[in-house]
Amino acid sequence: MTLKECYAAMGGDYDEVMGRLRSERLVQKFVLKFPGDGSFDLLRRSLESGDRGEAFRAAHTIKGVCANLAFGPLLASSERLTEALRDGAPPQPGEEELIGQVEEDYRRVIQAIQAFQEGAAG
Amino acid sequence: MIRNLRKRAGSWNSCLFFSRCLWYTRKRMDIEAYGPSRGPAPSGIGIDPALGAAFKKNEKEMDALERIADKQRVLIVDDSEMNRAILADMLGNEYDILEAENGNEAVSMLQKHSTDISLVLLDIVMPEMDGFGVLTMMNRYHWIDDIPVIMISAERGSTHIERAFEMGITDFISRPFDALIVHRRVVNTILLYAKQKKLTALVAEQIYEKERRSSLMIDILSHIVEFRNGESGLHVRHVHTLTELLLKTLVQKTDRYHLSQTDISVISTASALHDVGKIAIPEEILNKPGRFTEEEFAIMKDHSKIGAEMLKDLPAYQDEPLMKAAYEICRWHHERWDGRGYPDGLKGDEIPISAQMVALADVYDALTSERVYKPAFTHEQAVDMILRGECGEFNPLVLECLRDSAPAIPEELSHDDGLRQSHREMQNIARELHKHEELTASERTLELLEHERMKYSFFASLTEEIQFEYTVTPPSLVLSTWGSEKLGLPETLMDPYQDVQAQAIIGATEQAELADALHSTTPGNPVVQYECKLRVNGEERWHQIIARASWSSEEPPRYTGCIGKALDIHCSRLQLENLERQASHDALTGLLNHAYAKKRIIERLEDRPESDYALAILDLDYFKSANDTYGHMFGDQVLKFIAERMRRSIRGGDIAARVGGDEFLIFLEYKGDLEPIIDGIYGRLAGGSYEEFAISVSMGVAAAASVGLDYDALFRCADQALYVVKNNGKGHYSYYRKEAVPMDEVISAVSPIDGESAASQTR
Repeated sequence: MTLKECYAAMGGDYDEVMGRLRSERLVQKFVLKFPGDGSFDLLRRSLESGDRGEAFRAAHTIKGVCANLAFGPLLASSERLTEALRDGAPPQPGEEELIGQVEEDYRRVIQAIQAFQEGAAG
Repeated sequence: MIRNLRKRAGSWNSCLFFSRCLWYTRKRMDIEAYGPSRGPAPSGIGIDPALGAAFKKNEKEMDALERIADKQRVLIVDDSEMNRAILADMLGNEYDILEAENGNEAVSMLQKHSTDISLVLLDIVMPEMDGFGVLTMMNRYHWIDDIPVIMISAERGSTHIERAFEMGITDFISRPFDALIVHRRVVNTILLYAKQKKLTALVAEQIYEKERRSSLMIDILSHIVEFRNGESGLHVRHVHTLTELLLKTLVQKTDRYHLSQTDISVISTASALHDVGKIAIPEEILNKPGRFTEEEFAIMKDHSKIGAEMLKDLPAYQDEPLMKAAYEICRWHHERWDGRGYPDGLKGDEIPISAQMVALADVYDALTSERVYKPAFTHEQAVDMILRGECGEFNPLVLECLRDSAPAIPEELSHDDGLRQSHREMQNIARELHKHEELTASERTLELLEHERMKYSFFASLTEEIQFEYTVTPPSLVLSTWGSEKLGLPETLMDPYQDVQAQAIIGATEQAELADALHSTTPGNPVVQYECKLRVNGEERWHQIIARASWSSEEPPRYTGCIGKALDIHCSRLQLENLERQASHDALTGLLNHAYAKKRIIERLEDRPESDYALAILDLDYFKSANDTYGHMFGDQVLKFIAERMRRSIRGGDIAARVGGDEFLIFLEYKGDLEPIIDGIYGRLAGGSYEEFAISVSMGVAAAASVGLDYDALFRCADQALYVVKNNGKGHYSYYRKEAVPMDEVISAVSPIDGESAASQTR
């Protein structure tokens, strides 16, 4: 599996990220780092504990990283979640679904990266 | 910041400071010449670290300085390690990267490294303290004034961006990043700030010294232009004076231009910068003696535009009246009332009144000065030529001002010539800078120098010595604290050769001799010892000056000054003089001793062989009996008595000495007849008595006219004459005559013990 195929698998925009970061080596380095980033864990934990401020920052960070790496679907869902959590706003209807969407998009990214990693290793 | 810098390091580094400004001016020209986008900055451009970083005090900071000289330091503040890593990677190895994962960390790093940080990349949304919190702190501690911040965020809301800009950020980059854009913006921002810091420093200097509007800075900049220009150095001053005079006349005539006293002073001061754009004109064109080609003239004409652009590019202080006036003057001082000037062809009062006045002053001074291409016109000729429109058309009102103030102009300008003296120092600096534009010292060098200086002044404060340091450019003398107190001089003395206080301490001859000695040293053998009298507290005391000349390392080496100390050797010198005196004088009588008198006489004979001389040897008659009868103590008293008589008998210029025992000699230089002189001296010497002892003197005289200009011959012949006297009854004197003594009978009256014996033995 190539990096480009990895991006295809997660629905990301390979050409866009290459246009900005200009180096496959760099992109690959950050893509491989993504699973180790603690922001998603932090998001999940703070949502569970009801710390919506912390959850906002975590979602915001995920959004930023996704924007940089052009992880399209996860960027879209995390951005919506960020807005939902902004300024400690109370839960609105549909937030559960939104969180579900973020988790699903996140899993898809992680799976694609793992597949890429195995492919690269194999 | 700059003020501290100057305070701490004294005058020499104001010199360096100016050179940096100059360096900047050149660099900026380069940047303009090549356009702003020639890829990554060459490593030289952004190097100069924040001026404020220059004076940290410990070694750690010195290391930091060293590192900074290589790389700019960028602080990345972002809570996501991923994002920080991406940014760091984008900036690559060109920068030294510091990372902070929240606002608190960022603030503590800013605290720790302060102005070592060249740029902050700042995220907005972060735990602990967010980006706005960091900006608040940076404003509170004024870091934002020195450290540029680029805000980076996925936030797109314009209120966020607006708020961030209001808090002083320099740029805003939104996620997702584009590697090239991030890199380019970081480079640009750092460059811009490096520029701005220098400019701020440059302008701040002027602003701080507002009360002295004609600040050294302006003078120096404008004088640099003049030295390139081959002008006298008085041009700027004259233009200043004339502009002021004309404006004062103008406001008495009309209030059409609403000029206050402050406006007048601002315009006059700004006039000094009228030709600052000439910095950018190639020297060959600037100083071309003949006519310009059309092309050259076009380049030359550019100086007004360039000067204006330089001032306009100063990012801060654009609202300062001084800057505004300087801009107008630079740009439009070659415009003419009828629209036929340059660069913009403005007409009539489209030309600001400031530029109109400076234009007139400029023309007047150019006419009355000698230039490579023309002789100097007289005041009257110049005024006539301008009034007749030979130098282009001027505002009739302005011409009226010229006509009215014309009678006062020569007088006013002569004051400027008087000021020349006080401007010597500044001109020297400018001249030197012009010669050594490449002179740039890194901040680290400054730091080391500062350290050495501190060490020096510490040790100097411990010793009670007059220590000094003299630099040729600017001519200044720095004294150790103890030395300055001892001499009653300030610790720093500018232009000591011209200083009245310094003149009072060391005489002009001594000063010149010492300077000569130092200038004649070599880098390999630079130490000079010199003894002279210094007037300390109104008392002249002998000092030994030990000084080491400093030579520059260039080829050929240039004398740059000296360091040294002055030791008070008055007491030992007096002792020495005493010893010398003892060696040359007879201890008992205080007369010269024989050996020393002989030396002096020989010198005299050699110096003026054309003169007439005579030598007399005299001898106390019956001295032995005085010794025998009254004792040696008494004998000594008699000798002293006769010595005192000798001193009174001889004339000034004569030499009296004790030959030994009771024999003395007198050496005279005379004109005309010798006889009455000898008769007078003998008359005063002989006769009377000391207590019971009758003073009887025998004396033999030999004249150089008869025996030749030779000491030994004189002495021998006088001795022989004395011998004859002793043999003929004593108590009188006689001249040497060849026939008096047979040639084969070489005898002497002078005996080792007393004058009696030789004579008495023959009896």
